[in-house]
Formats: sequence, C-alpha cells, structure tokens
Amino acid sequence: MNEALVVWLKSTWISHAMTTSQWAWPIAETLHFIGLALLIGGAGLIDLRLMGILKSVPVSAVMQMRKWAAIGIAINVVTGVLFFVGAPDQYINNPAWYGKLLFLLVAIVNVVIFETTQGERMLRLPPGEKTPASFKLAGAVSMGSWFLVLYFGRMLPFLGNAF
Amino acid sequence: MMELLQALEGSAFSTWVRESPSIWAYPTILTLHTVGLGVLVGANWMVDLRVLGFARAIPGSVLARAFPVMWAGFWLNAATGALLFAGDPTTKGTTAVFMWKLVMVAVGVVLMIALKRKLHGRDIDAGTAIPGVRALAATSLVLWIAAIAAGRWMAYV
Repeated sequence: MNEALVVWLKSTWISHAMTTSQWAWPIAETLHFIGLALLIGGAGLIDLRLMGILKSVPVSAVMQMRKWAAIGIAINVVTGVLFFVGAPDQYINNPAWYGKLLFLLVAIVNVVIFETTQGERMLRLPPGEKTPASFKLAGAVSMGSWFLVLYFGRMLPFLGNAF
Repeated sequence: MMELLQALEGSAFSTWVRESPSIWAYPTILTLHTVGLGVLVGANWMVDLRVLGFARAIPGSVLARAFPVMWAGFWLNAATGALLFAGDPTTKGTTAVFMWKLVMVAVGVVLMIALKRKLHGRDIDAGTAIPGVRALAATSLVLWIAAIAAGRWMAYV
C-alpha cells in the first residue's frame, strides 16, 4: 500500500516540480524555517505565559499572538506536504519522520484539550493571577512537543536518510 | 588565509565535527543551531509585530523582557555556528552566500540593539509615537527572513 502511494505521489506534477526545479526545494525549506521561527516565537510566548512567566500580562493579551503561531503552522504544513509529495520514499521509512508526526499530534491534541476544557477560564484569568497547574502542564507539553517536532525534523537526514 | 582554513580543516576537532558518526557531533550541533534560530528570530519577530501594531493588549512595557531571550538564541548560534564553521572552513570561508549570511546576522543584531534602545524608557502605548520605531521593526522583520534564506541556501552551494 505504501509502495503504491509512493509511486503515485512521485507521478504527480507537484512531485516533479519539487525535485526537478532548482528553486522549489530551497524556497520551500526557507519558508519552512520562517514558519518554524514564527511558531517558536508565537507559541513559545503563549506557552511561557501559561507556565507562569510574565504574570502582569493577561493570558488573553498574549493569545493575540496566536494567529502568528497559526500562520507559522500553516506555512509548515503546506511546505511539509510539498516535501513529502516531492520525495515520499525518503520519509515513509524514516523513523525520525514518525517521531515528528507523533509529537505534532501530541501538540495538536494538547491544544484541542486545553482549549475545550480551559479556554473560557483562560480568557477570564485576571492579570497578576497565578496560572493553575492545568495551564502550566498544557504550556509545558506544548513547548516540549514543538521542540521535539523540530528535533525529529532536523534528525530526518541522520536517523533516516532524507536530504 | 587559505592556509589557515586548510590547517583548521585538517585539525582533529574539525574532523570530529564533520565525520564523527556520533549523534552528539554534527547532528546535535545543527539541531541546536536551528533551536537558536527559532528562539532569536521568533522572539525578535514577536517584538517587531507588537511594535508594528499587532497584539496591542500586550503592554509595551514588557517588551524589554524579550531581549535576554534573543541574546540567549544569539549566543547559542554564535557558539554552534563557530563549531559548524570549524567543521567545514575551506568551503564556508570561501562561499559568498556564507559571507552574506554573516553580514545579515550582524545587521539583524545591530537592529535588535537599536530597537531595544529606542524602546528603553519610552512607552509605545502612549499617544506620542517614537520616531522611526516602526520602520526599524519592519526592517528587522524582513532582514531575519533574508538571513534565514541565506542560511538555508548554504546547503545548496
């Protein structure tokens, strides 16, 4: 099944463009790193606040940077899919790629659980107030999983064979 | 100059960075360099965006707290960058795009210091705007994009 998927993806024009164009891959990599920095900046700020840093700033205020983190994620999902379509065979058997996907999933599940169970409470938390343990946990899980996504992404050529 | 680079490349340390099969050599140095990039540029972009008028609910008075974070990212990357250079000096030392990257990082850091000084003791939330602060933030934002592009491009030359 994987074999058929790889063959089909490699037959698409997107895959051809990614691997034959001199510019496509480097530009996508550059965008991927821009997305990475936006995500670390935006999510990192929110995670640190949830963990209890910058208490004078309302959580609802740092949440205004969330859209920049979301833009970073969106850029990286699009460019990440382009890499996968461009050279599926270097990811599909790569342990680092599965590590990356696993922690991406952890990060997303963490956000969804936090938003649905603590979202209201978070926006009402007054400035100067200590963040509850559930907030600290969500912030730490988020920051830890995003850095692990970065780690396994960077390890793609070393734990596996991606370029 | 070339002799110096060649001597460095022939050293045991340079060979270790470049050829050691250990996960703690090249792969870890490169990963830390990426972490430093994210921390430095990410924190700088958040300040740039706030100065440009996004996320206004964040008090301008706390922006100063972001600069030590940027410095931490910068020093991590100065150290890991020096190691990466030591592993590949004859190529990097003679590559134009590497020189461009160094120039852009240097200008980025100068802009970061200039931004900190401009914000120091002044409140961007007050009615009176700080002259030039928005242009500074916008230039900083674009410059880091160029620095990232130059850094990525080094993998293809």
